[in-house]
Amino acid sequence: MPYYEPRLSLELENFSSMEKYFKLCEILGMKNLIVELNKSPKNLEPDLIDKIRMLTKLNLNFRFNLKPVNMNQFKKDLKIYNNFPFILSIETPVKDIQIQAAKDSRIDVLSYSNPDIMKTISPGVISLIKQSGSFIEFSVAPIMVNNRTYQSKNFRLLYRFIQLIMKIKPNYIISGNFGNPYDLRHPRNLSSICHTLLGMPLRKAKEGFSKNVELLLNQVKIRSEKNHFQSGVRLIRGE
Amino acid sequence: MKDERQRYILFKILIDENEFLNKKILLNSIWHSIWKYFGMKEANKIGLWLVEFNISEGYGIIRCSHKTKEIVISALTMISEIFEKRVILSPIKTAGTINKIRQFVI
Repeated sequence: MPYYEPRLSLELENFSSMEKYFKLCEILGMKNLIVELNKSPKNLEPDLIDKIRMLTKLNLNFRFNLKPVNMNQFKKDLKIYNNFPFILSIETPVKDIQIQAAKDSRIDVLSYSNPDIMKTISPGVISLIKQSGSFIEFSVAPIMVNNRTYQSKNFRLLYRFIQLIMKIKPNYIISGNFGNPYDLRHPRNLSSICHTLLGMPLRKAKEGFSKNVELLLNQVKIRSEKNHFQSGVRLIRGE
Repeated sequence: MKDERQRYILFKILIDENEFLNKKILLNSIWHSIWKYFGMKEANKIGLWLVEFNISEGYGIIRCSHKTKEIVISALTMISEIFEKRVILSPIKTAGTINKIRQFVI
């Protein structure tokens, strides 16, 4: 079962730092990574993706994370992502945007990696995500903090979040999303934490790092095909 | 009494300064992590034993009961500092016999 680290934020300007991260990932035994682009795709150099791929033997995929603060900005930002070839995710505490994003087929992932954003989740949004076939993402990074007060708060928050997801059963992925290289861990070990400390069945936890991520990547690949319109609708022959 | 089955866990040790780290300190921090996250109820089932510790090569082998394998993996993963020095203890392979696990030692 190939494991993925679905979110690794890197500074795209700093190649030496990126190389260090990739080396560390290789030492830890990771094989598949999804790198978060911190630059808007408009400002990306055309050959940047190839340059990053040259740095390592790891299988790299890419994603971009939108962080809109109001509905107008969200609608404006989304216009340029009609044929986006990578994973597009959204991370916002505004409920109206979450609802709109859950319905929008251009958004692949609704991310709840931050504890403040995790608090804003509602069963209605999860249900919408399930209906639209997009993915919900949460991260184990909040429980790896050193401050015990925050750590126990985040444990409770994440536990309740996971119980809600297990009940409604939308598509989900789990990410590490660690900012510091010394916080990086192999996804197999993180699935173990989800099982023992957060009450997820081990099989479900492993799926969050492997099978479900593959499904997401496959979905993005199909979406970027020219003849594909929406889930289940594809132009077979046209003039 | 029937013997309980055991598991051997091979883990990597990544640390900047390794002079201060020895077998005793490592074992103490693993026990501390188990106590912190799982408490006495789970700790008494583990049967933890540090079989091998090689700081120069950066690996260690731990033995535990097969039912508590996931607990030990989690406890190792949750350790991020020893004596305020950042450290990564990353489990890489689990096996049922010591001979099998030694095959994976690089």
